[in-house]
Amino acid sequence: MGKNVLLIDDSSTMRKIVGRSLRQAGIEFDNIFEAGDGLEALALLEKEHVDIILSDINMPNMDGIAFLREKANRPAIKDIPVLMISTETGEDIIGEAKSLGALGAIKKPFTPDKVNEILGPLL
Amino acid sequence: MAVELDLVNEISLGTKDVFSTMLMIDLEDVKVECATAIQSNVTSMIGLGGGLRGMLSVHCPELVAREITGALLGMEVDDLGDDVKDAIGELANMVAGNLKISFAGVGVDIELAIPTSVIGKSFRICGLSGATRILVEFGMPAGSFWIELLYVINT
Repeated sequence: MGKNVLLIDDSSTMRKIVGRSLRQAGIEFDNIFEAGDGLEALALLEKEHVDIILSDINMPNMDGIAFLREKANRPAIKDIPVLMISTETGEDIIGEAKSLGALGAIKKPFTPDKVNEILGPLL
Repeated sequence: MAVELDLVNEISLGTKDVFSTMLMIDLEDVKVECATAIQSNVTSMIGLGGGLRGMLSVHCPELVAREITGALLGMEVDDLGDDVKDAIGELANMVAGNLKISFAGVGVDIELAIPTSVIGKSFRICGLSGATRILVEFGMPAGSFWIELLYVINT
């Protein structure tokens, strides 16, 4: 089974940029799935195999923190690693994300090199 | 309560950071714009809360909005559609994110809302009454765009 990534961001532009940054960083996935918020992501995770999740924090309907909290309660998906990609860099919110299982955070704006530096060791 | 920040400089640095990092574009020098009229066909606004109330807006004429969106997405953009609204909204989000870091450095914690974008030929946007207004103009090959900050410090 190939490696799959799930990008969660309410901005379709940002999802495209992250996908392009992964390719530019030389990080290849068999499938790049996309979701516009946490609710869409949870629905997708019921159907698709995902190896790693890159998630925004500020989103409508279900934000990144609520998504992490809900994911932690679902045995089938709770162990999928999550990396936050967000303009939010405050210690409080990143600390909360990490306490809910996030492995780290990439600050927007970012370069493909920064994505590779943080994401690469997790793959 | 005064803000211990050179906000024109912070907006300038934060915007240039976004453009150089995400669009590979080095913006031309900025100037503080005193005019009250802004030429915009696409405006994206993001609400600010917490230690201050306000709004950060990005105002772009059509050609500039298309140029920015094309640079972000790596493709030609022919019209003012959903891609442009989304891209300029994300630009506002990232500039506001950098500003949030600047404010945090002087002990003012602000929260960011989700961006809203407006497309049109003639529209007026009303902000907070009594707010401090900062307007910074940036130059690109396709023309100028503006970053506007309206804010009131919560005491």
